[in-house]
Amino acid sequence: MTRKRRTPLAWKNLTHDWRRLAIALVGIAFAVLLMFSQVGFQNALFDSQVKMIDDLKGDIFIVSPAKFTLAAEKRFALARIHQARSCPGVQAAYPIYCELTTSVLRKMTDGKGNRGYPIRSIGIPLEAKVFSSKEIQGQTNLLRMPNSALIDRKSKRRKFAFPLDDDAALAAESVELAGMKLMLAGTFDLGTDFAHDGNLVMSDENFAKYYPHRKRFGDPLSIVDIGVVQLQTGYSTEDVLKVLEKTLSKDVLVLTREEYREKEIHFWDKSTPIGTIFLAGKIIGFVVGMVICYQVIYSDIADHLPEFATLKAMGYSTRYFVGLIVVEALLLALIGFLPGSIASYGLYTWLAERTGLLMQMSVPSVSFVLAATMLMCIGSGMLAVRKLVAADPASLF
Amino acid sequence: MDSQTTIPATSGAFAEGMHLPKTVQVANVNHYFGEGELRKQALFSNNLDVRRGEIVIMTGPSGSGKTTLLTLIGTLRTVQEGSLKVLGNELQGADRDLIVRLRRELGFIFQAHNLFESLTAYQNVNMAAELVGLDPQIAEGRIKSLLTRLGLGDRVHYKPKSLSGGQKQRVAIARGLVHKPKLILADEPTAALDEKSGREVVTLFQELARDEGCTIIMVTHDNRILDVADRIVNMVDGNIKSDVAVQETSVICEFLKGFPLFADLTPNTLSEVADKMMVHEADAGDVVIRQGDPGELFYLIRGGSVDVLIDDGTEEKTVAQLNQGQYFGETALITDEPRNATIVAREKSIFYALGKADFRVVLETSATFEEELRQALFGRQ
Repeated sequence: MTRKRRTPLAWKNLTHDWRRLAIALVGIAFAVLLMFSQVGFQNALFDSQVKMIDDLKGDIFIVSPAKFTLAAEKRFALARIHQARSCPGVQAAYPIYCELTTSVLRKMTDGKGNRGYPIRSIGIPLEAKVFSSKEIQGQTNLLRMPNSALIDRKSKRRKFAFPLDDDAALAAESVELAGMKLMLAGTFDLGTDFAHDGNLVMSDENFAKYYPHRKRFGDPLSIVDIGVVQLQTGYSTEDVLKVLEKTLSKDVLVLTREEYREKEIHFWDKSTPIGTIFLAGKIIGFVVGMVICYQVIYSDIADHLPEFATLKAMGYSTRYFVGLIVVEALLLALIGFLPGSIASYGLYTWLAERTGLLMQMSVPSVSFVLAATMLMCIGSGMLAVRKLVAADPASLF
Repeated sequence: MDSQTTIPATSGAFAEGMHLPKTVQVANVNHYFGEGELRKQALFSNNLDVRRGEIVIMTGPSGSGKTTLLTLIGTLRTVQEGSLKVLGNELQGADRDLIVRLRRELGFIFQAHNLFESLTAYQNVNMAAELVGLDPQIAEGRIKSLLTRLGLGDRVHYKPKSLSGGQKQRVAIARGLVHKPKLILADEPTAALDEKSGREVVTLFQELARDEGCTIIMVTHDNRILDVADRIVNMVDGNIKSDVAVQETSVICEFLKGFPLFADLTPNTLSEVADKMMVHEADAGDVVIRQGDPGELFYLIRGGSVDVLIDDGTEEKTVAQLNQGQYFGETALITDEPRNATIVAREKSIFYALGKADFRVVLETSATFEEELRQALFGRQ
């Protein structure tokens, strides 16, 4: 009843001194920036781990259950791809072949080579569009040539120092892959990650020539790294997935795009130190933010302590003060979040341009940082209000 | 038998208004500051009763514990030892809810104004009105009339920054009064005020005490406002040294002046005498003094009446009746002889009694004592 006309003390106190508010907002914005950068780096690095999955044109993926990450050289039989093709709802199914450990690329100068570095070789069937990238599709004719491949422009320069901007010069480079001559016919765009310093794309035919021993006996192309399934229109991913799971024997895993992505990120997040390192980064960002917020809110309470004590003496309850500080903390969090996220957006754009990392302000990362900001403001508010709540008013004047 | 009490006559315990409920009861309250080795006692077994509608002024040198006692009464400190009842609620060991509820019935005026810089005068006062759930319209009327009354009618919507020290203090006073508290606790409320607004504030206090039955306890060094006090409590070194009902003391002094021996004493000496008197009570038929007993006390009848009986050896005869304002028992103290009459209460009566030693000290301080004495004795016979 009396609630509607309450004096908005939290708001009044906050906006009373513009200079103080500005300083508080800068502090919180900095904490927001700190957390955004951690979340951004983590997402960027995780996203780059699954960049290949994102670039493949498929709705369902088939992999060996033993393939715990993209870089693990665990394969399954080509027969599964054939089986998949026969399932209702499947428009097409293609095998993707990968080699890493034996795929050593050497730059030759005057007949002598450097020691060479491992690069990921990806063999694809040319008759299909397995990569969504128009760039690769447009260079299919180049891949038809024997001993030819496209090289990833983002491959590490230090290890693969080729004139990537100049196709003619690139093709003239003397290069050996797995001990055999290779022509770098062109370039494409994929990106590096923790396990891969560069990428080559070639036809499955060429691939078989470079890695004849990938299967001890028999056709090197009879074992597949990743199966890509494209759906017929009108069929739902779920339904086809069920059919495939039933049809294919249990020696393969059938995953949706999302599942495969998550499985891969889960591996890097949980089974490697990377997740922990970023978790630590986020916690540090959170703690630093909390310290800043605590300083801001605590000094606000401390400066008004006699006034608050007077309110307490008048009979304002603990609940009122907790409510007051929560509102003040939330207002600070929300107002501070705005400049913080704008600054972070600037940082993301700048970093993306400089490093090629995928820095994106996705909805989950924005909501995570917003939630963390509110949590840290409220948490520090609660810490700061303890003294006021616990002490006798007379000791606060 | 008369029943002797330890209640001082000047406490006003038997004066008018004694039937009113006690707003504040302080009993054996001790208070300590600091912990362990540094623990220092600030209050030493204090007792104080304040009744509804009374205005009590607490004085004493700084550091005497006035403010500590005031904040204890105001629930702003936790009661450590002793019993403290405010508006009928025991504060010793009281839970938070009770304390919060109680605080809303009190009005505080602190030495520092403690106004929120971010709120206008009106909003600062309104913080108190909102808390007790006052209807906004009634609150608005009351806030504006209070501020106008305190000379701030044209500054209702000013922020503290644009108010002078005295004006800020007056806003704080309005905040302490707006919710019509049952008990007002004020710590130097007029210290920052000029004579005129200080007077306005205490007049307001008097009106609240008279019209609303509001009890007011005020710590002050401002002797310009001592006249509003019903009682003056003096504290020294953590102890209530005197607790005097102003009205009652003046009544006693008037009575004492009627006694020829005391007629020439100054008001100061008279009030010292009054201070030393203790309350005695007697029911109808009780013997207050028995003829032949040694004389120990001098009595003043505050209320009721007594018969004077003299036994001449054969029979006991009522020779006189004494009423309110009259006295008896002085002869035995002056002459050092046994009581020459028996005094019996006719009804329930109250006496103020002065001990023999104190009685003599008073007489000796008077230069004309011997003279007066002789004349008095002569006049009697």
